[in-house]
Parts: sequence; C-alpha cells; structure tokens
Amino acid sequence: MTRGAARENPGPSTLAARAVSVRFEGLTAVDRISLELQRGEVLGLIGPNGAGKTTLVNVLTGFQVPSEGTIWVVDADSTGWQPHRFARAGVIRTFQNGRLFKEFTVRENLEVAAIGVGLSARKARTRAAEVLDWLGLTARADERTDALSYGDERRVGIARALAAMPRWVLLDEPAAGLNDVECDQLMRTVAAIPERFGCGVLLIEHNMRVVMTVCHRIQVIDFGKTIAAGPPAAIQSDPQVIRAYLGVREQRR
Amino acid sequence: MAGASPLERIWPVIALWALLLVIVALAELFGGGILNRVVTDALVKVVVVVGLYIFVGNSGVMSFGSISFMAIGAYASVWQTCCPKLKPINMSGLPDFLRYNTFDLFPSAVSSVVFATILAAIIGFPIMRLSGIAASIATFAVLAIVNVVYGNWDRVTLGTNSVVGIPRYVDMWVALGCAAITIAAAYAYQCSRSGRSLRAARQDEVAAKAVGVNVPRERLIAWTISAAFIGLGGVLYAHNIGVITINNFYLDMTFITLAMLVIGGMKSLAGAVIGVVALATLQELLRQVELGFVVGGLSIKSPPGVQEVVIGIVMLLILVLRPGGLTGGREFSWPSPKRRPRS
Repeated sequence: MTRGAARENPGPSTLAARAVSVRFEGLTAVDRISLELQRGEVLGLIGPNGAGKTTLVNVLTGFQVPSEGTIWVVDADSTGWQPHRFARAGVIRTFQNGRLFKEFTVRENLEVAAIGVGLSARKARTRAAEVLDWLGLTARADERTDALSYGDERRVGIARALAAMPRWVLLDEPAAGLNDVECDQLMRTVAAIPERFGCGVLLIEHNMRVVMTVCHRIQVIDFGKTIAAGPPAAIQSDPQVIRAYLGVREQRR
Repeated sequence: MAGASPLERIWPVIALWALLLVIVALAELFGGGILNRVVTDALVKVVVVVGLYIFVGNSGVMSFGSISFMAIGAYASVWQTCCPKLKPINMSGLPDFLRYNTFDLFPSAVSSVVFATILAAIIGFPIMRLSGIAASIATFAVLAIVNVVYGNWDRVTLGTNSVVGIPRYVDMWVALGCAAITIAAAYAYQCSRSGRSLRAARQDEVAAKAVGVNVPRERLIAWTISAAFIGLGGVLYAHNIGVITINNFYLDMTFITLAMLVIGGMKSLAGAVIGVVALATLQELLRQVELGFVVGGLSIKSPPGVQEVVIGIVMLLILVLRPGGLTGGREFSWPSPKRRPRS
C-alpha cells in the first residue's frame, strides 16, 4: 500500500508555510510565521491560548487564506487551494471539537474519510479496519459516534484523520480535556504515528509537559509570532520561552 | 454493513418494493377505477419525492426548485408525443422536427429525461457552490424562472393554457415499475462514494472538506441525478393525467412533495416513500370529506381548502413533535431484535 511505499521511499516530504500572516480587521492573528513539517517527524506547535496556533492550522489546510505569505505542499505553491485539495494532497487535520459525523458509526466515519481522499469503497473499508485495529477501536467500530465517551471521541477524531491517508497530519489539541493518564496514553499513540503511517505529525498543544516527551522539534509561538524553535531540551531552557510563554500564561490566569 | 449478506444489504430496497407491490395488488384486487387512479397518482409522486430525496435527503439542502424539472420533463415528452394535428398550428415556435413529427412513447420519455438532466446539470453548476439557505433560495429562483418562461412562451407551451390529448399510457403497473427503479437508483446513490461523501457533508461540511470531499461537486452529482428522476416523474404525470398546464408544476406541487418528504423523514429513503404513502392516503380521505359523504342520513361536507389546512397542520405537528419525520431518518433494516425501524 501507499503507506509502505512511503516509508521505504520518502521522496520530497515537506509541508511548509513561508512568512505567513493572517489579519482579521486590524487584528494580526499570525504574523510572518514560517514553519516546515517533514514526513516522519513530530513537530510540536505550542503557545498560550490565542497565540495563533489554530489559525496557522487553518492556513496550512486551506480553511484560511493567508493575507501574506505562501503555503507549499512539497514543491507546489498551494496558497489559495480549497481545503479538499489540501486533503487530497495528503494534508489532513483534526479539530479541537472533534467534528465527527454524528449520524455515522465509527467505522463509517473512517471509511468516508478514506473515500473522501479518493480511495475505492473496498480499499476504504480495509484502511478503516487497519486504523481501527491499530488504535484499539475495533470494539467501538459499529457504534454511532454520538454515543461515544469523550476520550473515545478524541481518538476517533485522530483515527478518522489517519484513515484519510495523510502525508502530514495536523492534530489540533488532541489531548484537550483528557486526564493525565488518558493524555499520556494518547501521546504514546501520537509518538508512534510517523513510524506506523509514514507521515509527519504537527502536534498542537498548550501543555508544555505533554509536547516535551513526544516531539522531535518544537516551535513556540505567542501573539502570532515564532519566539523560539528547536529540540525540546533547548526549548525547555530557553529563557525567552520561559519568560514569554510560561510567564504570560501565569498572568493570564 | 461490512459483513452483511447481499440480501441484507439491499433489504431497504426490497422492503419498499414489497410495500408498494402490496398496495398495488390490493388496489388491483379490491379497488375500482377511483382507487386505481389514486394509487397511480401516488406512485408517480413516489418517483418525484424519491427523486427529490436524492438531492435534499443526502445534501441536507432544501430544494424549492426541483419541481421545475418535472415541468421540463413533462413538456419535453408532450412536444414529442402529443397532438399531431394541433402542434403545427398552436405550437408554431417548436423546431420543425418536433412540430411536424410525432415520436414513439418510450424513446420520447427517455429523451425527455435526458433533456431535464442536462438542463439540471447546467443550472446546478453555479447554484451548487452555494450552501444552506442561499442555495435553497437560488433553487426557488429557478422554479420562478421556469414557471414564468413556460407560462409565457405561448407558441411553444401554449402559455398557461392546458395542453390536452396527451397519450395516456401510464397505468398503475407502469408507475409501479418506474417507482421501483427510482427507489433502487436512490439507494444505489446513497450507498455510493458520492452519496456517502455528501451525507458526511450534510452532517458537518467543514469536517467533510477536511477529509477531501469536494462538496459542490458531490452536490451537483446528486442534484443532477435527482433532476433526472423528477423529470421522469413529470413525464409520468403528463401521460397519466393526459392534460397538463405549467401551473401543475408550481407552488402546490412543490409544497405537497416537500411535505411528503418532511413528514416521512427526509434523511432516509424509507422516509420519502412512507411520506408519500401517508400523505396520499390522508389527501384522499380529505378529498372524500370535501366531496361530502353521508353518515346515518346526515350529509357531511367540509368547506373547500380543508385539505391544504390539514396537511399544513400535520406537517407542523411532525416538525415540532418528530423532527426526523415518521421514520426518524432510518431505513427498513434487516429484521433483527435490536434495531427495528418504527414507521
């Protein structure tokens, strides 16, 4: 399958934002941010609430056209593409509030995602079964998603994204609202995604502790700007991050 | 669905076929001419409402304009099959091949459906980029435009006058056959990749886009297939009644067909069919009351217009008390103890 081939033969593998800005009526939500996500890595995108993380994900997936700057899928300038085109190019996202198809079962949610990016009905069924199995959701497969527990809902959100054959998967606060145990479990899953599915993971979180353990690289943003980027150890000890990120967070409480 | 047997998978279609077949068989055995006519009318409505369902049910976008394609299909068939003596005189605006020729019934029906389908694809192309209420209002504009054009194009449509003498070949069995085909096609569509993608978009458009669904494209596919069957419904209507005017295909028809879909449950194919059966039955009962009947020497007769009022009230009650319609958006599933549909 594509997944296996992808692992053996990664080829060109970068999803990139170059000097992207997003302005809403005078408010600058994203201010000249550049970001690169390679397949096979987990990149943490952290920052306090309102820092511009979700806006950046919207830009990277076509839900928000940037006011300035460009988006690149490998070597194609994809600024202005419709969201479904990003998805078909392998850029798949999750949503903070899940946005599952409530009238569908878990399995149907996954199958329609695979169908959406162009798989045949049969291949979609196989793909859905694989992903469900990998995430330990097979027992839930035939339940309607409006009957799921909160934790399962979060996992199905990720499962649906993985069913859509991502080359880069953008997880928007997948652990929000989970307790510490559930959160740690989920992070082990996230950490294993690149190895299993051959894709890059952009992990959005505002909890520093969580990202430190799973990310290869971390990019910290605040007030729409990148304030630091690098490996976890460097970020942890970066005085600017400690001051701006943790400090601001304390104040905001 | 994955491990279901073939019979189990097509059960929703078989169940609906069986329901209609039983109704037709009963009408054939016990009914007279009137019941026969009522059932035929209802089966033509099944074609139209299931056609409507293909778009509305799967996309979640209300269409107030689809009945236009009934008119387009009906007139297209009439031009080909009707009135060889009158056409050259009354319909002077028709192209010569239509004006001086009469065509066979079956190929005419097919070409009329194709004509409605092509027009729908062209009209739908810009409209299907809209969402929600904007799309609905745009479809309403289509209804108004088609009505005005056909209502004033005297040399082609006879304006708002009736076209009479249309060959009547649609009996109960022809209508049943067409209804059966429409039901099968609707089910095939909703199980197709396009149908499933569209149903996902109906539940959450943003999430559907995020997994690659091209929403305008899938909507256009559903709209076009839907129009094909509504066009077929128009053809059947014309050749069942034998007389048409453009105002047969306007607000009253739009209202009653949408009412049938809403009352039955617009999210399921079973809902579309049950809605027609329920409302056609109610309509016929009310019509009897309007005509007057005698109970124990007492003559009872309701004032005219009671039909519309009662149907309106029923629709309101359904919307308030059972928003999913009679079927609650479910199909007739394979009989199992757990998930039996209520209908």
